[in-house]
Amino acid sequence: MMIKAYRFIKARDYLMRAVFMLCAAFSILALACICVFLFVSGIPFIGRIGFSNFFGTTWHVDSQAYGILSMIVTSLYLTALATFIGVTTGLLTAICLFRFCPKRLIPSIRQMVNLLAGIPSVIYGLFGLIIIVPFLRDYVSPNSIGFGLLAASLVVSIMILPTIVSVSLDALNAVPRSYYEGSLALGATSEQSVFKVVVPAARSGILAAVVLAIGRAIGETMAVIMVIGNSPVMPHGLFQSVRTMTANIALGAKELGGDAATALVSTGVVLFIFTLLLNISFNLLRGGEKREKKRTQKTDT
Amino acid sequence: MKISRIVTVMVLGLSLMLGLVACGGGGFDTSRNITVLAREDGSGTKSAFMDIIGLKDKPDPAGVIIQPSTAAINAEVRNNTTAIAYESLGFVADDVKKLSVDGVEPTVDNINSGSYQIARPLAVVYHESSLSDEVVKAFFDFMQSSEAQAIINEEGFVPVLSSASAYTVNGALSGTIDVSGSTSVQPLMIELAAAFEHLQPNVSVNVSGGGSGTGYNNAEEGVSDFGMVSEVFNSERAPSCTFTNIARDGIAVIVHKDNPLTSITMEQLRGIFDGEAGAAAITTWSSLITN
Repeated sequence: MMIKAYRFIKARDYLMRAVFMLCAAFSILALACICVFLFVSGIPFIGRIGFSNFFGTTWHVDSQAYGILSMIVTSLYLTALATFIGVTTGLLTAICLFRFCPKRLIPSIRQMVNLLAGIPSVIYGLFGLIIIVPFLRDYVSPNSIGFGLLAASLVVSIMILPTIVSVSLDALNAVPRSYYEGSLALGATSEQSVFKVVVPAARSGILAAVVLAIGRAIGETMAVIMVIGNSPVMPHGLFQSVRTMTANIALGAKELGGDAATALVSTGVVLFIFTLLLNISFNLLRGGEKREKKRTQKTDT
Repeated sequence: MKISRIVTVMVLGLSLMLGLVACGGGGFDTSRNITVLAREDGSGTKSAFMDIIGLKDKPDPAGVIIQPSTAAINAEVRNNTTAIAYESLGFVADDVKKLSVDGVEPTVDNINSGSYQIARPLAVVYHESSLSDEVVKAFFDFMQSSEAQAIINEEGFVPVLSSASAYTVNGALSGTIDVSGSTSVQPLMIELAAAFEHLQPNVSVNVSGGGSGTGYNNAEEGVSDFGMVSEVFNSERAPSCTFTNIARDGIAVIVHKDNPLTSITMEQLRGIFDGEAGAAAITTWSSLITN
């Protein structure tokens, strides 16, 4: 009797272990499938149409020109500009929340910034299309075009704010309080202590926030399509219709077939490589941060 | 010190922006650039329009704003005084202005008589074999019935059949039909589907958009019973399928309500929408509007 029950429990254990393994394997399988799909259909296509065609500047489906260089450049410009605006605002917000904000306002401000992360990207796109684009067109743009890099960067910079604020605030909070107090004891003002001591001490965490934000900015699609104009040309200014890699894929995915559809997959490969590099650098930064923490803990004791 | 400097800069920037807001406004400025709106590659409206005005396979002009749906085009023309766009006539609302082309107004009568040239067929694409399903066949018959012709007329499209018989209801029919494709055909198809479901309460018709490209692909792969396309049927895009035109649709050239322009010529349209027009390219409103 006892042995029977024991066997049953053991069998159940094995079964559940198998179920858990299967669940874990599922996400790995999903990743593997996506990689295989992208590379198997994307890479040979680049080889077939030629490296110089694929990384050329002309995208014109009707004449079999699938150059995505202008879109790569646009994606990079957009990411750089959005990250610059977002990181400046976000980092200063985090510093404000860390030391200078009245204590009773902190929870509500944090909550509101986090709420930004929950808004669907299409709503950001709508906001950009209805508010930002007409505003830029009527009052800022020199050529009466509101669509373009600036509109998209503004929208995306708002979208990446919550990531930057929460990750860099965590990094600031993780700096031992003794740093700040020691700096005060040496005669520095509160502002000097925060900007010259605490922020540099939290730099790897802040860098991680920046990398995460870049990852989000380069992959943003829906909001960008609605405000960037989507013309596949090289960007020469802030108020000009241009197209990112993500927009190219989303615009064509439903409409195009044959070679053009494969060209979209190849665009996906390039995008995937960019995000992969970002992820790797994020992990390296995280690793660096951990090592640094260990070192400071050792010197503390 | 640092903080106060930052705050000062921010306040200055904000007041500058508000100042600019206060200065805006005024009548139509013809010196402004034309904002050319277009649809994405693969769109039925785009390929039909470019084909008819004689710019088949030409690239879009530099600086074109590409919007992925009919609704997005309409929204932008409604808000942007400098915009010009092309759009399915059945979809044009009263809050934008339709232009006459070569002096001919885009009306149902003018499309019917052939004097308004920018018109294309709206078609359904399907596998011949799928009509053996009696539910699918019933909807196919309904699309060519006199009831359907009345709806097509009501929606601002042009019927293609001059004589059509009434649809005979088959009470035993039940099932689902899937239709997808062109966003230009979609609003009409939704009306047709609703009328059909009213006659045949046990049949449900799912209509989804996606564009003409989706229509071809879904019909070819059998994902949908009917694919909707808004251009002359291109057999390369769905080799194993056949098609039936259900209506004709004009493509209207639209501008903002405040735009004083009322008429445009084919030649001018080519100057605006051709990416390879060179010296003939038209980029500012002053080339079209003479005071």
